[in-house]
Amino acid sequence: MLALRVAPPAIRTDRLSKDYGVGRGLFELDLQVTGQEVFGYLGPNGSGKTTTIRLLMGMIRPTGGTAHVFGLDCVRDSVQVKRKVGYLPGDVPQYGSLTGDEVIAYLGGMRGGVDRRRVHRLAERFDLDLSRRFREYSSGNKQKLAIVVAFMHRPDLLILDEPTSGLDPLNQQEFYALLRETRDDGATVFLSSHILSEVEHVCDRVGIIRDGRLVRVAELDDLRHIRVHRVEIEFAPGTPIPEREIRAAEGVEEMKAEGDRITCTVRGSFDPLLHALRDATVTDLVSTEPSLEDVFLSYFSEPRRRLLTS
Amino acid sequence: MTAVLLALRLGRWGIVGFSLAGFVFNFVNAVAFFQIAGHTPQERAALGATMSALAAQLVVLLPPPIRPDTVAGYVQFRGFNSLAILFAVWALASATGFARADEEKGLVESELATGTSRVALVGSRVLAFAIGLAVAAAMAGMAFVLGVASGNESFERGRVVEAAANLVALGLACYGISLLVSQLTAARFATAAAGAVLLALFFLNSLSRVFSWLSTWRWLSPFRYYDLSQPLPQGGQLDVRAFLVLLGIALVASSAAAFAFWRRDLGGALVRVPMRAGPPRYEPSTSPWWRYPVLRGVYERRLGVLAWSAGVAALAVLFVSLTRTIVNVLLNIPALLPYLSIFVHQQLYPAVLGYTWLNVAQLLFAGLAITHVARWSAEDSDGRLEMALSAPYSRAAVVVERMAVLVAVALVVAAVSGLTLYYASHANGIDLSVPRLTAASLMLVPFALVFAGAGALLASWNPRATVGLLGAFAFASYLDTELGPVFKLPLWLQDLSAFKLFGTPLVTGVEWRSVTLMLLLAAAGVGSSILLMQRRDVGR
Repeated sequence: MLALRVAPPAIRTDRLSKDYGVGRGLFELDLQVTGQEVFGYLGPNGSGKTTTIRLLMGMIRPTGGTAHVFGLDCVRDSVQVKRKVGYLPGDVPQYGSLTGDEVIAYLGGMRGGVDRRRVHRLAERFDLDLSRRFREYSSGNKQKLAIVVAFMHRPDLLILDEPTSGLDPLNQQEFYALLRETRDDGATVFLSSHILSEVEHVCDRVGIIRDGRLVRVAELDDLRHIRVHRVEIEFAPGTPIPEREIRAAEGVEEMKAEGDRITCTVRGSFDPLLHALRDATVTDLVSTEPSLEDVFLSYFSEPRRRLLTS
Repeated sequence: MTAVLLALRLGRWGIVGFSLAGFVFNFVNAVAFFQIAGHTPQERAALGATMSALAAQLVVLLPPPIRPDTVAGYVQFRGFNSLAILFAVWALASATGFARADEEKGLVESELATGTSRVALVGSRVLAFAIGLAVAAAMAGMAFVLGVASGNESFERGRVVEAAANLVALGLACYGISLLVSQLTAARFATAAAGAVLLALFFLNSLSRVFSWLSTWRWLSPFRYYDLSQPLPQGGQLDVRAFLVLLGIALVASSAAAFAFWRRDLGGALVRVPMRAGPPRYEPSTSPWWRYPVLRGVYERRLGVLAWSAGVAALAVLFVSLTRTIVNVLLNIPALLPYLSIFVHQQLYPAVLGYTWLNVAQLLFAGLAITHVARWSAEDSDGRLEMALSAPYSRAAVVVERMAVLVAVALVVAAVSGLTLYYASHANGIDLSVPRLTAASLMLVPFALVFAGAGALLASWNPRATVGLLGAFAFASYLDTELGPVFKLPLWLQDLSAFKLFGTPLVTGVEWRSVTLMLLLAAAGVGSSILLMQRRDVGR
C-alpha cells in the first residue's frame, strides 16, 4: 500500500506563549497557516503581533508551547527555518552609510549569493535607486529596501511585520500585486497589520489578536461584518431628512441627528444606506474608517464577541 | 530648563562613568603615592627622580611634572593630567553624540519641534555638559582630598578647586571645538573629523615639547593653555590668563557651532559638496567581498581599517623619531645612570621604544577592540543583528564571525604597525630584532582579543551597557597593571590584566604562558558569549 505523505502546514503553533509579565506578551496561541495562503494577522498596537513574528523567526524564545514552520521547530531548527523564510521586520534596521546595493549584497551574501535579475526586477518595480546611501533614504525607500531583501531569494514563506508602513498608496498597490504574484507562484505569506482594509484587500484568511490572545481566525465574510465606517451626511437646508429610513437601513447603527446633519456608523455594505437616501438632497457625505482600536472596542465588547464566536 | 534636564538625562551614564573614573583614578594615585614614596626626604627624592625619568618617556602624552616627590605633584602629573586626556575624549563623544547621533535618531528634530530654538538647544547641551564636567571634576578633586587624608598629609583647598576648574575649562573647550567641527561635515564623518582635529591639537602641543619648530604654533592648541596651569603642587599655579583663554575658546567655538547649526539643514553639513545626479541603479553591488564570511566584515570596515592603519603607522614613526631624544634625556639623569649602564651596550633603544610605543600601541589596540564591541552592541539596537539572524545563520556563527573579523582587522593593523616600526627604526639607526618585533606586533592581536572576548560576553548579556562596562574593564585592567605591584595584589589577579600579560616582548621576547593565558581569557569570553547569545531574546 502506498502511504501518502501530507505536507506539513507552513506555520503551526501549539499553545505558543511568551509572557513578559504584568499581562503583556502572547498567550497560548494555536494557529495553523496552510501553504499558498496569504494570512493576515490583525490586531491593534501592542496586541502581540510582533511578539508572534519574533517567536516564529526564533528571535525570542517562548515561555511555553511550540512553533513550527514547514514542520521544523522554530527554536531547535531555526537555521533551517530561515532558509525557507523571507523576513521583513517591523522596524527597518539601520545600515548607516552603506548604500542600498551594498545592503542587498551583504544580506544576499549571508544567504550564499544574490539573484541579480530578481533584485533588479524588484528594485525597478518599486523605483528604488540602490546607489544611494541608506541614511539618505526616506522612510518609504527604507521600507522598499526591506521589501526587496525579504523577497529577493524567492522564499517559500514570507513573514512580514506591517509591510506597507511608510509606503505611498501607489507603492502599496504595487506591493499588494507582488503579494498576489508570490502566492500564485506557490509561496505562503504571513503578514501583520493594524489596518483592516489592508488585510481585507489582500488576505485569504485573517487571525485577529487582542491583548496577546487570538480572538478569532476569520474568513473574509466575517471581516465584512467587522468592517465599520463612520458616516456624516449633510442635507440641503430646508429639505426633508429621511431619518426613519436611515435608522431602519440594514447595517446602520448609532445614528444621531443634529439640524441638517446626520452621523451614524455603517457596518458592511453601503447599499441599504444609499437606498434610504435616494429621495433626499445630500450636499455632503463623508465616510471615514475608524482606527482598529475603535473597531475592537465596539465590536469585541462581550455581547458581540459571543455573537462572533457562536 | 527642560532641555537642560533632558540633556543631563541623556548623558547621565557618561557623567556617572567619568565621575567614577576621575574619582578612582585620583584616589588610587594618591594612595599609591604613600605606598611607594617612603617617608624620608631621600626616599621621596628618589621617587621624584624616577618620575622625572618616566615623564621623559611620556613627554608626548603628559607635560613635565612639578615636584613629583610630593603627593600633590604626583597626582597632578599622573592623575589630573591623565584625566585631561580622558575628559577630552568624553567631550568629543558627547559633542558628536549630540550634533550627529541624536540628530540621526530624530531626537534633535523632536526637541526643535517643541519650539526650542537651535541656539537655545546648543546652549542647553553645553550647559548640561558643563554641569556634568563640574560634577566629574569635583569627584576627582574629592578623591585627591580623601587620598591625601589617608596619608595624614596636608593640602591647600584652593589649589584642588583650581585643578578641578582647569579640567572643566579644558573639557568645555574640547566640547566646543568638537561641536563646531561636527557641524561642518557630513554626519558620517563628524566623529572622525572632530577626533582628528582634537588629536592634531593635542599633538601640536605635546610634540612642541620635543620639536622646537612646532612651538610657534602651539598657541593654537587648548591643551597648551591647560598645561600652563599646574595648580596642585607647590611651585605650580593656576595661570589665570590661560584659564580664561580656555573659557574663551569654549565660548567662541560653541557660539560658532550654534551659528553653523542655525545655518545648516538638519541632517546636512554646513559645507556641502555638490553631488552629480546620475540615473538610478537597480543592481546589487558587484564586489565579490560581500559573498565571503569574515571578508565581508573587513570590507565593510575598509575605511576604518585604512584610518587605523594610517594612524598607527604615523604614531609608530613619531615614537621612533622620539626615541633618541628620550634616551638622551634619560642619560642626562645622573640617578638613572647605574640602571641604564646595564642596557647601554645591550638594548636601551628597544627597551625605551618597547616601553613608549608598545604601551601606546596596547591602548590603541584596546581602543580598536572597544570600537568593534561598540558596533556589536549598536547592531542589537539598530536592528542589524535581527536582520543578520533572519538569514540562515546560527547565533554562534554570528559571534564567531564577529571575532574573526576583529582578528583579521587587528592582524592588518598590527602588520602595518610592525612594518612601519621596522623601517622607521632602521632609518633612524635603531636596530630591532626582527623575530622579536614580529612577535611583539603579533602579540597585539591576542591582546585585543582579550578585550573583544570580554566585550562579546557583555554584548550578549546586556548590549546597552556594553561600552560603558567594557571601558570600565579596560580602565580596571590598566589600573591593575599599574598599581597591582604597588598594592601587592595577588599574582593571579594581576595576571587577569591584558596589559600585564602583554609583557615586554621587544626586549624579553614572547612569554608563551602569557600568550596562552590571553587566548584562554578570550576563549572564555567568546564561549560564554555564545552560551548567553543562545538563550537571550533579540530585537528592540
